[in-house]
Amino acid sequence: MAQYVTMGAISLVRAPMAMDSARKLALFEQSVMPHLNAAYNLARWLTRSGPDAEDLVQEASLRAFRSFETFQGQDARAWLLAIVRNTCFTFLKKRGDQPAIEFDEQAHGVADESPDAESALLNQAALGSLNHCLEGLPLEYREAIVLRELEELSYKEISEIARVPVGTVMSRLARARRRLQQCLEGALR
Amino acid sequence: MNCEIARRMTEANDPALAQHLRSCPSCIVGAHARYYEAPPALEQKIRASLRREAAPNIPWRWIAIAASILLGVSAAWNLTLLRSRAAPRQLLAENVLSAHLRSLNGTHLLDVPSTDRHTVKPWFAGKLDFSPPVKEVDGFPLLGGRIEYIEGHSAAALIYGRRAHIVNLFVWPSATSTPESSQTRNGYQMRTWSASGMTFWAVSDLNPTELGDFVSVYSRN
Repeated sequence: MAQYVTMGAISLVRAPMAMDSARKLALFEQSVMPHLNAAYNLARWLTRSGPDAEDLVQEASLRAFRSFETFQGQDARAWLLAIVRNTCFTFLKKRGDQPAIEFDEQAHGVADESPDAESALLNQAALGSLNHCLEGLPLEYREAIVLRELEELSYKEISEIARVPVGTVMSRLARARRRLQQCLEGALR
Repeated sequence: MNCEIARRMTEANDPALAQHLRSCPSCIVGAHARYYEAPPALEQKIRASLRREAAPNIPWRWIAIAASILLGVSAAWNLTLLRSRAAPRQLLAENVLSAHLRSLNGTHLLDVPSTDRHTVKPWFAGKLDFSPPVKEVDGFPLLGGRIEYIEGHSAAALIYGRRAHIVNLFVWPSATSTPESSQTRNGYQMRTWSASGMTFWAVSDLNPTELGDFVSVYSRN
């Protein structure tokens, strides 16, 4: 009798610890891992390097797993992307990349509407240079465009990930789009 | 017009796409910017590291505590051993007491049974490379002498009596002089002192006062 009680007590102490860890892993793999492509895509666009993106996504995934307790059932993709974004920015800052957000808005402000831009944009060469133009954007603009156009996140979600007000997100997106257009048109001349 | 439509127009190479893309750069990016997919190897690497992370933790903390306790015990044990080794006087006292007990146990108390110091003292000559001071001690009649080996060197043992009690006085030459001290070991009284280049150990089952008397009388003569 006493033996059963003892054994019961031991399994009571041990089981939750072992199960917690396994359950956490299963839950994480089920809810967060499906967004690995989004994580990699963001990291790849932010760092402009495949190997860097791989390292940073792995680091960010571990970080996410360790702080999985703070995940309260909100959108898992946005939650993971926020961690990836912070990991990338920390990495880029340490490497010495300057967030080149401040550039001459007046000089780049207004795109000149050339009449042959329409046919030019249909040109496959112009579309091919799109990736190049996107890569050339300042980090914060690139971030906003990738989150908005490739991940199709809402302004609010982007503002939470980038830690800036929604208004800033909108103005960054507007400027980023203008610069993209300019870049594409420039690539055709 | 949304981006899904733009994507279909692109696939069909619809000429109307140009106007759409022109007015909507979002669609340009959404439809044509590259979407990088995670390499399959990356997913496997991450899954592996997550499993490592989730594996039950080895309780290094407790292992460390246990290891430091073991280290402490081992250090204390070695220190004890070292100390017992570092106490040659204690070891010497042990040997002297053993010699005393051996002499009482067997039949080998006296090599030269004589109450006359003029018989005892010459007897040692030729057997030892030193001449022990053999003295009469009032109240403690001399019974005789014996050769002893204590810690690898020869020693003279002078045997005195007091009623039914035996006093062994061990004498050997030594370069260092030790301060006088007394101790009780296994119920036996022991006194040691140095005089004129000799080390003396007196051992007996007498009470401390009587052995003290023996020592003071012997030293005075």
